[in-house]
Amino acid sequence: MSELFLQQLLNWITLGSIYALIAVGFSLLFGVLNIIHFSHGDVSLLAPFLALSVISAIGSALGDAGSLGTFLLALLVAIAITGVIGVLLDLVVIQRFRQAPAMMALVATVALGIVLRELIRHLFPNGSNPHAFPRLVEGNVTLAGFTIPLFSVTVIVVSVLAVCALFFMLNSTRLGLHIKAVSQDRDAARLMAINPGRIFRATFFVASAIGAVGGLFFSSYAGMARFDFSIDVGLIGFSAAVVGGLGSMPGAIIGSLLIAGLDTLVQATVPNGASYRLVFVFLLVIGVLVFRPSGLMGRSLVEKV
Amino acid sequence: MAESLALPRDTSNPVVSALTVIAVQLAGALFLRQFLLIDDWRLVIGLLLIFGAALVLMERVPSLEARVEAAFARHSRLALLLGIAIVLAFPFVLEGNTYALHLCVISMLYAVLALALNFQLGSANIPNFATGASYGIGAYASALLALNFGISFWLALPVAAVVATIFGFLLGIPSMRTRDSYLALVTIAFGVVIHQLLNNLEFTGGPNGLVGIPAPELFGHSFASPLVIFGQELPSQANFYYLSALLVLISIVFARRLHDSRVGLAWNALRTDELAARCQGINVTWYKVLAFAVDAFLAGFAGTIYAFYVGFISPDNFTFLVSVTIMTMVIAGGMDNILGVIVGAFLLTLLPEKLRAFSDYRILFFGVTVIVFLMIRPQGLFPQRLRRYGH
Repeated sequence: MSELFLQQLLNWITLGSIYALIAVGFSLLFGVLNIIHFSHGDVSLLAPFLALSVISAIGSALGDAGSLGTFLLALLVAIAITGVIGVLLDLVVIQRFRQAPAMMALVATVALGIVLRELIRHLFPNGSNPHAFPRLVEGNVTLAGFTIPLFSVTVIVVSVLAVCALFFMLNSTRLGLHIKAVSQDRDAARLMAINPGRIFRATFFVASAIGAVGGLFFSSYAGMARFDFSIDVGLIGFSAAVVGGLGSMPGAIIGSLLIAGLDTLVQATVPNGASYRLVFVFLLVIGVLVFRPSGLMGRSLVEKV
Repeated sequence: MAESLALPRDTSNPVVSALTVIAVQLAGALFLRQFLLIDDWRLVIGLLLIFGAALVLMERVPSLEARVEAAFARHSRLALLLGIAIVLAFPFVLEGNTYALHLCVISMLYAVLALALNFQLGSANIPNFATGASYGIGAYASALLALNFGISFWLALPVAAVVATIFGFLLGIPSMRTRDSYLALVTIAFGVVIHQLLNNLEFTGGPNGLVGIPAPELFGHSFASPLVIFGQELPSQANFYYLSALLVLISIVFARRLHDSRVGLAWNALRTDELAARCQGINVTWYKVLAFAVDAFLAGFAGTIYAFYVGFISPDNFTFLVSVTIMTMVIAGGMDNILGVIVGAFLLTLLPEKLRAFSDYRILFFGVTVIVFLMIRPQGLFPQRLRRYGH
C-alpha cells in the first residue's frame, strides 16, 4: 500500500515538474509581452525532434551515436536551438501583433502552432510516426526499503534547479530587472534607456529554452516523441499557467502541481480513468476560474479608465 | 463625422447603378462556379490571384467600393431578388457535379457557424473556442434522437437546437465572471471536455461515432433520392443544398435584425468598453450569456443538418481545431460584417479542398495562409463598418 502510494506521489511530482517547465514559459511571456503565445507548447516539443536529429547527425559523422556524451550534447544543442527558434518566431511573426487586438495575436499563434507541427511531420523523416525517445537515466535507488526510479529524481532535481535559476535571473540580475521593468511599463522602461525589443528577444529565448527542457523530459517520460504531443501538453501547460494566474511564476508552478495531481489521482482511482483524465482536468480548470476569475495567484484586473 | 454616418448619396444614372448591381452579383456567382468546378491547381491559384486583385483594387480606389455599395443600397430589393434567383438556379449550372454541390453544402453550413460565432467574436468581442462543441452537441443530439427513438428530422431539428442552447447557457455561466484570456480558456476547456466525452461515452458510439442516420423526408420525398425540378434531375445533394441555403438565409435575416436591434447595440457597447456599457445601465452579464446562447442555437441547427446530410458522425468532426477554423473564418473574413464572414467561410472551406494537389501539405499551407493573411490585412477581408442610420 505505502509502496504504491509513494509510487503515485513520485508520479505526481514528476509530471507536475514537467508541466511547470512549460507553464512557466506561458506565464513569463504573458507577463512581459501581454500576449498568449499559443504555440509555446509546439515550440517546446520541437526539442525532442531536434535532439534526435543531432544524435543521428553525430552518428553518421562520427559513428558514435550511442555514447552518453553524444546524448548530453544533443540535449544541450536541442535546448539552445529551441531557444533561438522562439526568438525567430517573434522576429518573423509575433512582433507584428504588438499593437493589434489580443485576439489577432491569439489566432496567429494558434496557426503558428499548426505550422510547426506540420513542419515536423514533413521535414523529419517519418515525422507522422512516433519515434522512440530514450529515458534520460535508467535504474533505481533503494531508500529505506523503497525503490525510487532515478529518472524521477533527475526530472525533479533539474526542474527545481531550472526554476530556481529563473527566479535568480529575474530577481537578482541586470537582465531580470530589465525584464521586470518592461513588463511593468514598456514606455517608462524605454525612457530608462532599456531597449524593449532586446528584452522581448531575451524573454523568448529563456521561455523557449526552459520549455525545451520540459519537452525533452515529457518525451523521455512517455518513451517517445510524437509530432502531436504538443496539442495536449501545450493545452495543459497553458491551463496550468492560467489556473495559477497568468504572469505569476509561483502560480504557474502551483497550477501545474494541481493539474498533475488530479491527473495522477484520476488515472489511479477512477475506473477507465486514463481516457477520462482530460475531462477531469478541464472541469477543474473551469471550476477554479469560476471561483477565482483571474487564477489562484493572479492579480485581480484593475481597469484604467 | 455626421456625413460618414449617412449613406453616400447616389447621384448617378439609376439604370447604370442597377446594371452595376446585376454585374457584381453575376460576376460573384460565375467566380464561385468556376472555383468549384476547376481541378487544376494552377487555375485555382489563378482565380485566387484574380480575387486578390479585386481586393487590392477595392483598397486602392475607395470611391469604386463606395459606388458599388451605394448602388446596392439604392436597389436593395433588386439585389435581394436577384441573389435569391442566383442561389436557386446555382445547382443547375454545376453540370451535375456532385462534389461541387457537396462543397457548397459544407461551405454554407460553415457560413452558418461563422455567422453564429460572429455574434460573440464580432459583435461583442467574446473569444469563444467552443462553437465546434455546440455544433457537435446539435449533431449528436439529433442523431441520437433519430437512431434511438425514430424521431423525424423535422422534429429533431428544433429539439437539437434547444439542447445546444441549454449547453450554450451552461457555458455562458462561467463567462459572467471571467474575461479575455481566462474566458478563452474556459471555452477551450468546455470544448475539450465535450470532445472527450463524445469520444469515450458508450451511448455516443465512442471513437467510431454514430452510423446510419436516416435521410430526412418531406411530403414523401426522401432527401436521399435525386431532386426533379421542371423535368430536370439534380443529384440528391441538391436537397441539402436548398435546405442549407434556407438556413443561411434565415441566419442572415436573424443576424441583421439582431445587429440593428438594441441587443446588437448592447453587444457593440460591450465590445468598445465593458465598464462604460455597465455605467449606461446595460446588463453586461445577461448580454454575454445571451451571446453564448444565440451562438449555440445556430450551431445546433447546422450540426443537425450536417448529421442528417452525411449520415455518419464521429467525435473527430468536432475537435478544437474545428472551433479554431470557425474563429479564423470570422477574423479573416471581417468581424461584425455579414458579407465578410460568409466570404471567409466559403474561402476557408474551399481552399483546403481545392489544394488537394498539395495533398499532404495542405494543412501546412492553410496555417501559413492564415498567418500571412493576418499579417498583411489585420482588419480582415471586409472590415467592420460604421453603423449607418441613413435608411
